[in-house]
Amino acid sequence: MLLVDDLLLKPFVSLLNTIHSMAIQEMYDVSRIRDELKENQLLYELGERPEATYRERRTELEAQLDVAEAAHENLSGRVEVKR
Amino acid sequence: MSEHLYTYGVVDDDEFELAIEGVDGGTPIRTVSYRSLTAIVSDIDTLEPERSDENVRRHDDVLREVIESADGRTVVPMQFGMVFKSGRTLKSVLRSGRRAFRKALLDVDGMVELGVKIVVDEGATVDDDTVADIAERLAAAAERDVENDLFSDRLCMNRSYLVAYDDQEAFSEAVQAVRDDYEDLTVQYSGPWAPYNFVDIQIGAAQ
Repeated sequence: MLLVDDLLLKPFVSLLNTIHSMAIQEMYDVSRIRDELKENQLLYELGERPEATYRERRTELEAQLDVAEAAHENLSGRVEVKR
Repeated sequence: MSEHLYTYGVVDDDEFELAIEGVDGGTPIRTVSYRSLTAIVSDIDTLEPERSDENVRRHDDVLREVIESADGRTVVPMQFGMVFKSGRTLKSVLRSGRRAFRKALLDVDGMVELGVKIVVDEGATVDDDTVADIAERLAAAAERDVENDLFSDRLCMNRSYLVAYDDQEAFSEAVQAVRDDYEDLTVQYSGPWAPYNFVDIQIGAAQ
């Protein structure tokens, strides 16, 4: 019964779409990444984060920021990040 | 040969050279004027300098030297990365923005910026009255202040203060008094900086 199968599957497909959408929002959240970059700098300046850890984390975050900014630029207006 | 001009900020009518390295190693730091407005510049090969730690530090160092070399020279800072194709395009921007630059120079006349962040231990909290007390005491020692983003859960206060160049010591004493009274809080005190958070000049893309 195609119709019944569709109805049964629909909630799961919707849930998967929501999870996928949340993951995309997290990945492309430019504000969040910029905040983490600033926090990383703050903790390093306060002496709470060793230089090696600080540099490693900064490299990761800068790479994430490049990806997020490129995504926003390429999709201009089609990516909306809700905080 | 360098073609472009990296621009650090704008001061009131002046002419000088500073023998320090600017962004991308550009030296000397010199001036380009249009009427009574003077831009602080160094030569640069690219229109898009890399935002490296070293370049950002040099941008700030140049502005600090501009302030210190004349015992508190007023400067309206540019954001990092402002490059003009030639002296002609720079002068054109000074001409079109002269009213905004003049107003900004008046707004921050004789002032520098100092920054104060209050940081709590991981997982700790601080009550609103404490933050209000600290903010009030420091604001009383400054001409103006602005609230900046609380970009981390560890931050309970992040403010910039506009302080007269000659009043920095009095402000530092107010910061020390806060440190003494709230020993469980970490106070990160920085500056003097050019007054980045107290001027707002938008320059268009036609550079």
